[in-house]
Amino acid sequence: MPPLLKVENLRTYFYSRSKQSFVRAVDGVSLEVGHGETVGLVGESGSGKSISAMSMMGLLDAGPGVIGGNIHYAGSRVQKNLLEDLESFVRIKEEHGRVMEVSKDEAGWHKHSECLMQNLRGREISMIFQNPRASLNPYITVGEQITEAIRLHTAIKSAKEARERALYWLEQVKIDSPRLRFNSYTSAMSGGMCQRAMIAMALSSEPSLLIADEPTTGLDATIQSKIVDLLDELKKGTGISTLLISHDISVISRLSDRVAVMYGGAVVEYGNGKLLLDKGETRKHPYTAALLASVLNEQNIRDKSNLQAIEGDVLDTIKVPPGCRFHARCNRITPDVREKCATHHPDLQEVAPGHQIRCWLFATRD
Amino acid sequence: MSRTILDVKQLSKNYRRHRSFFSSLNRASDTIPAVDNVSFYLRENETMGLVGESGCGKTTVGRTILRLTSATSGSVFFDGLDITHLTDREMRPVRKDMQMIFQDLDAGLNPKMRVYDILKEAICVHARLSDAEVENKSRMLLEQVNLKTSKLASYPAELSGGEKRRIGIARVLAVGARMIVADEPTSALDVSIQAQVVNLLRDLQKELGLSYLFISHDLQVVELMSDKVAVMYLGRIVEMGLAGTIAMAARHPYTYILWSSLVEKQNREASQNTKKIDRRAAWGVFDFERPSSGCRFAPRCPVYEQHGRPRECTDPENEPQLRDVGEGHQVACHFPLCG
Amino acid sequence: MNNYNQTTGEVSDYSQLPIWKKYAWMDILYVGYGLLIVALVLVSYILGMFNWLPYDPQQINMDMLMAPPFSEGYLLGTDFMGRDIQSRIVMGIQAYFLPGLLAISISLAAGIVLGVLSGYLGGSVETVVTYFTNLIDSFPRLVLILLVVAAFKPDIYYIMMVMGITGIPAVATAIANKIRFLAQKNFIEAAIALGLRTRVIIFKHILWYNCRALLIIQATLGMGEAILLESSLSYLGFGVQEPMPSWGNMVQSGSNYFLQGNFWPSTAPALAILFTILGFNLLGDGLNNILEGRRGK
Repeated sequence: MPPLLKVENLRTYFYSRSKQSFVRAVDGVSLEVGHGETVGLVGESGSGKSISAMSMMGLLDAGPGVIGGNIHYAGSRVQKNLLEDLESFVRIKEEHGRVMEVSKDEAGWHKHSECLMQNLRGREISMIFQNPRASLNPYITVGEQITEAIRLHTAIKSAKEARERALYWLEQVKIDSPRLRFNSYTSAMSGGMCQRAMIAMALSSEPSLLIADEPTTGLDATIQSKIVDLLDELKKGTGISTLLISHDISVISRLSDRVAVMYGGAVVEYGNGKLLLDKGETRKHPYTAALLASVLNEQNIRDKSNLQAIEGDVLDTIKVPPGCRFHARCNRITPDVREKCATHHPDLQEVAPGHQIRCWLFATRD
Repeated sequence: MSRTILDVKQLSKNYRRHRSFFSSLNRASDTIPAVDNVSFYLRENETMGLVGESGCGKTTVGRTILRLTSATSGSVFFDGLDITHLTDREMRPVRKDMQMIFQDLDAGLNPKMRVYDILKEAICVHARLSDAEVENKSRMLLEQVNLKTSKLASYPAELSGGEKRRIGIARVLAVGARMIVADEPTSALDVSIQAQVVNLLRDLQKELGLSYLFISHDLQVVELMSDKVAVMYLGRIVEMGLAGTIAMAARHPYTYILWSSLVEKQNREASQNTKKIDRRAAWGVFDFERPSSGCRFAPRCPVYEQHGRPRECTDPENEPQLRDVGEGHQVACHFPLCG
Repeated sequence: MNNYNQTTGEVSDYSQLPIWKKYAWMDILYVGYGLLIVALVLVSYILGMFNWLPYDPQQINMDMLMAPPFSEGYLLGTDFMGRDIQSRIVMGIQAYFLPGLLAISISLAAGIVLGVLSGYLGGSVETVVTYFTNLIDSFPRLVLILLVVAAFKPDIYYIMMVMGITGIPAVATAIANKIRFLAQKNFIEAAIALGLRTRVIIFKHILWYNCRALLIIQATLGMGEAILLESSLSYLGFGVQEPMPSWGNMVQSGSNYFLQGNFWPSTAPALAILFTILGFNLLGDGLNNILEGRRGK
């Protein structure tokens, strides 16, 4: 059975007019989400994880936007490539493997993309965002928003039935006093409640895929743990597939089956969640290893020692170096791969069944 | 035994008619006690952590200590001097020694001024130096915060989050601070940059003998950085003690729930089965407007439920006060958990 | 079709664009035109002040009545009394220049004071200032002016004082809002915490760095309005009286001959009004977009 979502070599570029340079936000991302699976996408700011999600949903405005790749969606009701025919709208000129010129018919692609995404967005694929208060309409009640979504995306058209369904989902997300919240405005609700409402809205159309972009960031610690609990329960209860995006490793490790680590616009490691995030595992991309080491843990606290910070700053996707993106900050370069790291961008290599790493240290001989 | 650099006695700050998110549910009351009867002291070269959820008043404590807003009652002693009622003019020389790092990365960074100008302004506030000396000092400051001196010519808009945070720290050092109130210094930063900033703050403390009041909702960073920790809830300190004690052997139910909500801890607890109380505590509405009926945590307190809703907890005459439970550890609870 | 090209050299940390590409070319055009007009007005004012004009604006020449533009010796022709229109137009600037400056000075000075007081001190001061500015705002400007004209003499300086006063609310609220915005970003608190003097905070940080764009824009728009006001009043007969030239009264007196087919004596000053006010307004608009709004795309 084909995976629910298969992203192949997604490339999304933006352009900075003032610096006359491309912002290579997503530069060749490939991943898969299977049925009933939760895939975690970990990365810091500038890694391209949010942009990847927005590209998948076709929600990007700035130019040039998505310029290459395939997104195969294979749901039970609909199967299609969300970037079908992209080549006919985009022309790319490359030099030494780097994109130097892009010509894209943005208006045309936008129309075409809207056609492609028509019955998918909100119905088959739902998305929840980081700041729940900013994503909900403050001028209409929460109930109205959910019923609107239900009537739009499901077969339910009558107001009464939509209300029943909305209340059902509000109960499912364990919001307290669902009937009261149904008639509330977002200004009267706390951050955690707004997030629950947004989850209810996203799930009310019973999508096959949920994309969650930083759902717990910005919430208080106690509320974060409750939302994580909720997502865990919903996952088990509805069997929905999720693409979970976060920079919080503990959240990712709690909820994900498989994990993809992103840095500088590309996936640098991809594999089973428990394995990847287990500090004991030696086969790791240097970035993953460094990231895990820099996160505060019991050891640091016990010893009252300094943290193992990664040197340097997060990659600026305008100034992408020719070789490996992590080269400048990597502390595991050995003399024999040093030159390759500086000049050639490695590919994802399978180092064990289901475990891929993008690093010259693990590359098999050609 | 180093001297006490900061002594806060029964500090209170009331706000009038603060619009709350829940004002549509309850009628807004007239005064909100954002900070209620807070007392603690900070010694030289010591770090005190102040934790709590958003709205608990920790930021207000920091701002009131620095006289950015005036206290409603109580007093603040800095280096033995009562600064609670000093005029703005009298405060100015004191400000040299007590500074704040703001939660907002852009605070204090005028977007139209270059980094050099920003630092120069800070250096020249309390000292008169020649141009050459200023330049020297600014280079030194950048080196202290691990930034390349080429950044002196940049505008804040060209800096990354981590760099902005460091300039903020450099600015505070430029004035000559000895005590720094750090309000959420790592919150807006990426994980790998957070580690850098935490290390920087620790190194600076060792190097310069600084004292920190470390305000954060990131419990683990607080535990790492602080010597002692105070936990605040709705304006009051509910528990205070050494960092290790608070994290491992919390006695106030709120502290326990707070620390156990760390997702990582949950992952571990789930495998080790060492929960003391069910952290799926009753979720009461987080409400400033509700008149204080005794212990403020009672509506959310699982211990309150467990003991069959005892009357002491909701008796308005009997609000729990901070009581010593040994070794500098204080708890404000009628039914503290066992250690 | 949208085309994008990557620069072949090294990507710099700073913006690479020259001025003409950084901002929308429309805005640059506006500002350019506006500055040209301001320069012309300034020069003309000085010329008029020293009377360095080709002809005496009041000199009557019965031989050349209603000469069209580009006639011999008369660049812009003559009016119905044979007076040189060009000199009269240049002289007409005297009528509004200083009074206009007075008006914008009052608006800015009082507006700054009230705005800073209201924004910085907040609380009851803010409430009082808000009530006060709302009160001023609620009066229609022309009514107030006519009242002043009726109560006192139709002196242009009195009128401009009124105009200045009615311009205060715009400046005050703009500044107060800017301060509130800065306060929200902990900007002011950080400055206080550092130990900066209040004086320094207000003048250097708030006004100079953050409000100067706003103030320049208010000044240019104010001048445009002053010109319009003065011209309207002289057109109606309340302002400068014949034979002293003012653009407004030139339009007025020329209008008698308009229907006879001699539309130039009336049109020339009208065009002057149009292009000048347009210049000031576009200057303000362009500067607003460049300094405050869309900083290029």
